[in-house]
Amino acid sequence: MLSDTSPESSTASASSGLDSYAKGQIAINSLSIIITTVPNSVSASENPSYSLLHDPEIASQVSSLLRDPNSGAGDNNLCRWLYDTFQSSDPNLQLVVLRYLPIIAGVYLSRVALRRPLAGFEAVLLALYAHETTSRAGQSWTVSVPDLSHPSLYHESRSSTKSNATEQNIAVVSPRLEPYGTVRSTKRARIVGVALELYYSKIIYMPVRSKIEFCEFCETWAGQDGEMYKDGEEVDKGMQQLRIDDAAGSESVEKERDGEKVGRIPLPWELLQPVLRILGHCLLGTGKDKDLFDAACRACRSLYARSLHDINSKAILATGSLLRLAKMSSDSADDFEPPEILNNNAITL
Amino acid sequence: MRRRGEEERGEMWVSRSSAEDSGVGEVDILFGEVCANGFRMNTTEVEAKLDEGNIHEAESSLRDGLSLNFEEARALLGRLEYQRGNVEGALRVFDGIDLQAAIQRLQPPVAEKPSRRGRCRTESLHSVSQHSANLVLEAIYLKAKSLQKLGRLTDAAYECKSVLDAVERIFHYGIPDVLVGLKLQETVSQAVELLPELWKQGGCYQEAMAAYRRALLSQWNLDDECCSRIQKAFALFLLYSGVEAGPYSLAVQVDGSYVPRNNLEEASLLLMIILRNSYLGKVKWDSSVMEHLTVALSLCSQTSALAKQFEEVMPGVYNRADRWNALALCYCGAGQNKAALNLLRKSLHKHERPDDLMPLLLASKICSEDSFLAAEGVGYAQRAISNAQGTHEHLKGVGHHMLGLCLRQQAKASPSDSERSHLQSEALKSLGVAVSLKHTNSDLIFDLGFQYAELRNMDAALSCTKQFIDATGGSMVKGWILLALVLSAEQRFLEAQAVIDAAVDETAKWEQGSLLRIRARLKSLQSLPIDAVETYRILLALVQAQRKSYGPPRYTSQVEDNMNSEFELWLGLATLYSRVMCEGLGRDQEALAACINGYLVDPSCAQCQILLGALLLKMDSKASLLARSLLTDALRIEPTNHMAWYYLAKIHQHDGSIADATECLQAASMLEDSSPVESFNQLCILSRVR
Repeated sequence: MLSDTSPESSTASASSGLDSYAKGQIAINSLSIIITTVPNSVSASENPSYSLLHDPEIASQVSSLLRDPNSGAGDNNLCRWLYDTFQSSDPNLQLVVLRYLPIIAGVYLSRVALRRPLAGFEAVLLALYAHETTSRAGQSWTVSVPDLSHPSLYHESRSSTKSNATEQNIAVVSPRLEPYGTVRSTKRARIVGVALELYYSKIIYMPVRSKIEFCEFCETWAGQDGEMYKDGEEVDKGMQQLRIDDAAGSESVEKERDGEKVGRIPLPWELLQPVLRILGHCLLGTGKDKDLFDAACRACRSLYARSLHDINSKAILATGSLLRLAKMSSDSADDFEPPEILNNNAITL
Repeated sequence: MRRRGEEERGEMWVSRSSAEDSGVGEVDILFGEVCANGFRMNTTEVEAKLDEGNIHEAESSLRDGLSLNFEEARALLGRLEYQRGNVEGALRVFDGIDLQAAIQRLQPPVAEKPSRRGRCRTESLHSVSQHSANLVLEAIYLKAKSLQKLGRLTDAAYECKSVLDAVERIFHYGIPDVLVGLKLQETVSQAVELLPELWKQGGCYQEAMAAYRRALLSQWNLDDECCSRIQKAFALFLLYSGVEAGPYSLAVQVDGSYVPRNNLEEASLLLMIILRNSYLGKVKWDSSVMEHLTVALSLCSQTSALAKQFEEVMPGVYNRADRWNALALCYCGAGQNKAALNLLRKSLHKHERPDDLMPLLLASKICSEDSFLAAEGVGYAQRAISNAQGTHEHLKGVGHHMLGLCLRQQAKASPSDSERSHLQSEALKSLGVAVSLKHTNSDLIFDLGFQYAELRNMDAALSCTKQFIDATGGSMVKGWILLALVLSAEQRFLEAQAVIDAAVDETAKWEQGSLLRIRARLKSLQSLPIDAVETYRILLALVQAQRKSYGPPRYTSQVEDNMNSEFELWLGLATLYSRVMCEGLGRDQEALAACINGYLVDPSCAQCQILLGALLLKMDSKASLLARSLLTDALRIEPTNHMAWYYLAKIHQHDGSIADATECLQAASMLEDSSPVESFNQLCILSRVR
């Protein structure tokens, strides 16, 4: 079980610390058979799971194995490793598996149409889904939007209508979770969506690279070039024409990535909703990483174009606003100027 | 005493920074001069001592020159250093003061603890000298700032927190209004605003959450702009940080007031409060707040609540066409298509912005779902196509797609045969153009396949449907259903059965209804009535179980869905019995009962009318007039229904007009060869439900 306490500040008892260390070592040992090299810094690390999560060398090897055209089958030993590692029930090791969710989900969803064996990916995704089902006890997640005519924690209401008769708007954000033993095709989007919800709940522990990979797959999934929306919608006509000429014929819905055809996928709301939440974090979250921001912008533009193609009103609203917010935040380079008590040369005690 | 907000911050600053104004208890540093307690001295000398690293001498020269005590002198020195940009030096000076001890001295005696909470004017000041309090608190605040600049964020946060702790201990009654306008309030406000930022920058997210809540829920006497800044920063943190804030302590929960249960609710609440305050003129309008709220509310599918927010925006903030369009998206997202269309009509009016792509496409999509609006939708789609230029060139295919759907819908409502077939083939043409422009949109492929099926071009329909299932990886039930129907229309029942079986395997139990229904139909067509009746039994049980487990339906759309599925089942059962009846097994009463059940739920259903007509005809020869009107009604709705033609032939035969009967039979036999087990129209309903 992933605990709600920060896995990194694990001030757990010595025995469980040892346990975690041992589990990490086991994971590294079994991984070393699968990938070519495990750097010394990882194998000799005092915090093996942390090193596994953050080592760029490991990440690049695992990533390229996951993107391999033959990855993801039922007998794939990397998938088996990911599955076993997640089932180790060590929260820090589970983060290592989650770190690769963008690639797993990305490759998996884009490859479904190609009718390849993908049982390995599905086993990992089902493990994440089952974990989330257990920790939510299958309950749906609802949001009831406040009505300002009622007083709240943060405001007083002048109209003292104490009646609770006014209708509360309750929306189901994530429906009840039924247990699934296999990935049925009509449940695929839901299972991946729930895995992404889990990813989002741990996103502060994810390395930037993992989030960038996620953004790249968003572009692929959208299958729509969004570069025409690069400068916001109010670009002047001349510029527009220029850009279109550049992008002529670039509605390349299927891209060649790593010699493999991957592409546009159906984006039902159960998948798009967690995708957009993660994207919101990548775009406007606390960390300020230029590469991540740029990747998130590109993803957002593609998804905006895709929403227009699908005439999906909720998605148009969300992606359109995200795009405008991204533009505002890149216009004002640093939006938080800490309060400065000492202006220029005058101070007063 | 000045009230807050009467003057701009800058004006207050200027007036107090002039040396003449500073009374006893205020210390000013201006252009290299320090003034306090009526004394004035040049800082050059002090600065020189600081540069030599001689803090003690610098301190004593300040104490002597300005008649200050040790702490005051140190605080002043720290400031000097901080102001000169020497944060390390400032830190050294501040470290030399025992600030905690100073705070202790500032606290009121324990015996005077307040008996009631709330703000109070002057009493709480009693022995506390504001001057000392401010010196100490500001020193700690500056220490926090220095630490922040040195990157020691957690240390900085602890110092900053101690400012707030101290304020709470010194002023039991909350900060008295009498302090308003004074320097102390400014220090407090800045510390309140800084603390969550420090935790955030230091990566201590839970502490940041707590600090935000403390800032907003305690009485700090913040001015409106400052409070609004904190609310916005907190809302953004809740929305995008990925950290769940967790529940509130019970202490802050007041009976009857709304307490958010999760990040989205809390962020939405805060953003709505900021918006309301800006309408009330308390804070400046900030367009990004509306954008953040749009993200929050559309992600939780609360677009009707979002619509309310857009309606409340003051006129002049948005261009009205923009606002109508945003509202239309909101209403459409909430399933209120009529309201959305009315707004789009306004924004697409020739005096407004008739050429905007997004509203044109949205309007045509809404119209494509209603045969009474289809003709209007055709117009929007055509305008969309001709305006899809430049940046929006890529949307041309979408325009053709919508045009095809609108034409098809228009064909349904058309009273004349020739017009209908013309519209149908135009629809097919449009969809074809759309496919040539954007060949990978799976929904488009589906719609094209569907159109082929309706036009009885089964080969083309089959190929589109297979393509759709491949592209979606079999994730859409409607694809499976269309495939089975197309196969059944080619009389390939066994294959259709296999498709349905495969689809059932790919579907969760609750969503198998429509598939089981087709399975029942296929069974009965294969003369397996017992299997079929059993399947219907399971189906009806499923519908009832669903109704129980979901409780009373909350939305009208849900009511309609339930009605639909239940109605369809009764209808199916009726059809089955009528087949049995045709085969001479004689269960007329059951058939009639099932049929009437279906008819009562939806009197405008062609299938039902046909069955009822047939049954009436069989059971009572005098009812032929009623039967005939039912059947002609049915044919108006579904002109390709062979059963309707068949029974109509029987009526003609019964009435003795053999020529008419022959004609009808010919039509029936031609159509039967290409009829699916369920009318393709039924699929329309299914795919919309899905």
